[in-house]
Order: sequence, then C-alpha cells, then structure tokens
Amino acid sequence: MTAQIELKNIEKHYGSFHALKNVSLTIDKGSFVALVGPSGCGKSTLLRSIAGLETISSGELSIAGKTMTGVPPRHRDIAMVFQSYALYPHMTVEENLTYSLRLHGVGKAEAKAKAAEVAQTTGLGQLLPRYPRQLSGGQRQRVAMGRAIIRNPKAFLFDEPLSNLDAALRVQMRKEIRALHDRLGATSVYVTHDQIEAMTMADWVVVMRDGIIEQQGRPLDLYDHPVNRFVAGFIGSPAMNFIEGKIASDGRAVNLVGGERIPLARQAEPNQPVVAGLRPEHMKLATGTPTFHFPVGNVESTGSATYLTSADGHLQLVQSERSTVSVGDRVGVEIDPALIHLFDPQSGKRI
Amino acid sequence: MTRPYVPWLLLAVALALAAVYLFPLYWMYITSLKSGSEIFANPPTFWPREADPSVYGAVWSRRTMSTFLWNSTLIAAGVTAITVIFGTGCAYVLARYRNVWVDVGLFAILMLQVLPASVMVTPLFVAFNQFGLLNYPRTAVVLAAAAKAMPFFVVLVRATFMTVPRELEEAALVDGNSRMGAFFSIVLPLARNGILVCAILTFMSSFGEYIYSKSIIQDPSLQPASVGLSGFLGPNSTDWNSIMAYSAIYVTPILAVFVLLQRRIVSGLTSGALK
Repeated sequence: MTAQIELKNIEKHYGSFHALKNVSLTIDKGSFVALVGPSGCGKSTLLRSIAGLETISSGELSIAGKTMTGVPPRHRDIAMVFQSYALYPHMTVEENLTYSLRLHGVGKAEAKAKAAEVAQTTGLGQLLPRYPRQLSGGQRQRVAMGRAIIRNPKAFLFDEPLSNLDAALRVQMRKEIRALHDRLGATSVYVTHDQIEAMTMADWVVVMRDGIIEQQGRPLDLYDHPVNRFVAGFIGSPAMNFIEGKIASDGRAVNLVGGERIPLARQAEPNQPVVAGLRPEHMKLATGTPTFHFPVGNVESTGSATYLTSADGHLQLVQSERSTVSVGDRVGVEIDPALIHLFDPQSGKRI
Repeated sequence: MTRPYVPWLLLAVALALAAVYLFPLYWMYITSLKSGSEIFANPPTFWPREADPSVYGAVWSRRTMSTFLWNSTLIAAGVTAITVIFGTGCAYVLARYRNVWVDVGLFAILMLQVLPASVMVTPLFVAFNQFGLLNYPRTAVVLAAAAKAMPFFVVLVRATFMTVPRELEEAALVDGNSRMGAFFSIVLPLARNGILVCAILTFMSSFGEYIYSKSIIQDPSLQPASVGLSGFLGPNSTDWNSIMAYSAIYVTPILAVFVLLQRRIVSGLTSGALK
C-alpha cells in the first residue's frame, strides 16, 4: 500500500486555541478512513486542512507524494462533500456537476457526457435540468456526491455528509457511499461524530479528542482493544459500562465497591485500583452462578433486543432474548472474563 | 381585542400611512394639470375639471429640463458606479473577515453615515477648492455624494453577502476555482439581487441629490434637476402648475424604474443552497 495522504506533526492554532496537536497520520491509497470524535475534537479542522481550506500552523502535509503545505485548494486535486452539501443554488444539477470540469477546461460536450454518466451512477438521471431547491434532501446529497466523483480526484473528503438526512436514508446512503468508494477505487477520508458510521464504513478508524489522535486502527481492533477509557466509551453502542474497583490480592479478580468480585482471565498487578470496562452486549443475565448483581431501574425493549439499565443509571445490559425482568428486580449478571477491559482510574490508559 | 381584528387594524394603519405619503404625489400630478384659477379654487377639486397637459411641454423647454435631467442622470450614474464598484468589494471583505480591523472599519463606516451632508459640505467645499476640483463641479459632486452614499450601501450589501453561505465558496475553491473566481462565479450571482436593490436605491437617492450640487455647482448648465427646481421656487411663486409639472417630469422616471424592478427586489435566489 502506498500512502496517498501523509500528515506529519500537524499543528493548528486559532489564536490561543490549540485545535490540532502534533497530528501524524498516513492514509493509504484506496483506503476508507474515518475521522471520528466528539464535536470540537479537531476532526473537521483536520479534514479542512487536508483540503487546504485551513492553513496549518506547522507540520507537513503531502498528497500523492507532493508537499501541499501552502498550496491552494484548487491545486490539490481533491473533492469534498460538505455537511450542508453546498450546492450552487443558481446552477442546475448538471451545471453543479460540471462546474469543476468547466474550470479545468474540459469541453462542453465531454462535460455533458460525463455529467450524464455520473447522473447514471448516482441515480440522478431525470434531475439534471432541475435546480437544487427543487430536490429532496437525499437527492441533494447525491448531487453533492456526484460533484465529487465527476473528476477522479486524488482523494474524497467527506465532512459529516449524512447528518442532515433522516435515519432510514442515512443507513441507505452509508452503503451507497461505501459501494461507490469500492467501485471507484478511491481514497476517502470521512469525518463523522457517529461511531456507527465510522465502524460500518471505514477500513481504518481514527478516534480524535481535543486535537490529538487517541487511537487509530481497524474498526474491530478499536472495539476489541481500545487503548484508553475514552476510546472504549466512544466506540460501541450502547457505550461500554465502567465499574470502579480494586484488583484482588491474588491478582485474578476485580473486587467491586459493593463487595462482589468479577473474575479475570489473566493475572493483573494485585491491589491496584482499576476501572473495569464491560460492554453491555457482553453481559448476560446469569443462568448459573452470577458474577455480580444490580437492581434494574429501567427496561426498554425494541423487539429484537432488550436494554436493562441499573437503578443508578451507570450500568446497561443488552440481550437479544425477550426478558421477563421488570423494574425493581435485582438481577444476576455473568460475563466472559476474557471480555473484560481494565483501565487505570487516573490516566484512563488500558491496563 | 380578539386576534383576527389585529391584522385588519394594522392594515388600516399601514394604508393610512401610505396615503399620507402618496397623497402629495397624487396632488402633484393633478395640480400640474389644473388651470391657474382651479388651483386656488375653494373648496379644492380632487380631479382637474379641464386637464391641460400642454404645461409639460412648455415647462420642458422653458426650464431647459433636458440639460437638468441629463446632469442629474450623469451625477446619479457616477455616484452609483463608484458606490457599487468600491462598496461591493468593501462589503464583501467586511462580511467575510472577522477581526479587530474589520470592526474598526465597520464602526468608521457607520460613523460616516451619521454625518449629515449639510455639515460636511463646507469642509468638502474648501478641500475641493484646494485640489482644484471645483473646476470639474459635477465630478466633485459625484465624489462627495458617493462618499455619502457609500456607508448605506456597504452596510446593506454586507448583510446580503452574509446570507451567502461560506461553504459555497469553499466548495468552489475545492472544485478548482481561485478566491477571485469563486467570488465572481458563486458569491456575486447569489448576492446580485441585494446589490441590485442597493444600487437602485443609491441611484434614486443621488438622482435627488441637492445639498452638494447646490453648493458646489454654480453654472446652471451643469446643475441637476433638483437645483433647477429650487431656482423655480421662490417666495412669490404662483406658477404652481408649472412647478408641479416640473416635479412630475423629474419624479416619474424614478417611480417607473422602481415599479418595473420591484419584482426583482422581491424574488429570492438563495433558497435551496443548504440542507
């Protein structure tokens, strides 16, 4: 794999605000990379820096082997899909699609043919003569996509492109974007605050917080081996449960505050305080000897799954079987010791 | 008061206010068509008994109105051109950048708006005299009036530019356009209506410019229609139908332009840019 976009020690300051702190990232050619994190984490700033819409304070940025620091967006040969779609309202769909081609001196006939082809791929066939205001949200989204794919750029940049769509359409567009990416063999960078989008679409997920990259890796690696409590809580839905406790003197279990103990599959350093991370989907209602108990405060059922929340709201459990548990019951829970994550209570780092 | 009556009441108030403004216009037109004795008739007539439009042609030639109106047009066009060309650029910068200097600039522009022409005319006259600009009095008036019209234009057009989403420009940049190109192909077309409206308003207000013209232009052959009208009016003037005919000739073109372009003013183009 060759690197298509390379970021080395990128720093970005807005006045006194430090938006990107020493960010280094390599994006392989043909890969689909998701930048994910809570709002204000710097993911959009990073994307806009790649596009050249933001100047970086220091560091090195190269696209397809060429240094791009200080190069204006138009010479970077990248395409971007904006959250608001940013369709030119005074141009028809066709004019929107061919705008970049016209700027690059492509002939009228060729641009028209290209637009028809892209309209075919994105399902916009009949809509070419329409104006953006005459389109639905999903159609506008497609025009924005079409405008990006029409000219074979070195990379596609997506800035939360699905957040203005309703839930059903979002799931559908998720698949379409990924399919389009595979068909074009493109390199894509996708910014989202929705970890499900990141997990389902990307080959490589980059989790950011406060301007730094907390962890990057393949989606399931992030799910299985989060390096710290933040990533553990951010990846996975519903979010991971965190329980404070202390490693037992033999190092083989976590002693909980209430006196119960959760056995571990491995040896941990005895007597240190820890935070145990348990994924809601890994916890089961005990059929044999329960590992620990909690009082149920809330029961939600979606039909396919049942969500049990503890009375204090700190613990959640998901099970796919229907449940007869009701609010106020004290339930016993078991969990596979191999699936328990341990974190340092101070630094939040994985133990 | 119950709710359905409120809009009716407001409508009635609006109509009454409109009537207060429009009645003189109506009075101007009918008076210009009345004979001398009918003008002073008591009770007054609300429709001329014998409409006599011949006064229009007479006033036109007697008062050399073609010269006056040409001067007015020239001055208004000059003011509008300067204001639109410089004001648009200025408004764009003020709309897109946010820093201390922009705030200072905006404040200075609003301050300019506060200074009345009657206060500014003396220092301007002295300055223009020093520069020898008084030898080109119409140019001098254009400069002075453009400076006066600029703040109003900049503030309004700035608001128009702020309604054009920044992302459209960014999309154009990523699509391969330069800053300049994005401005001309994306921002300007979308702000066109706002700029047009402000340009028309600027043109109309400078078409009626009086204070600077009266003070700076001495030669009657270079004076605009507003100054020409004031020369017509005196403490003993009784020639009301001629005066009203002059006014009607002066005002009607502006009114016509306004009515014709009203649709433009109303139509919105930015819808559908986002979401």
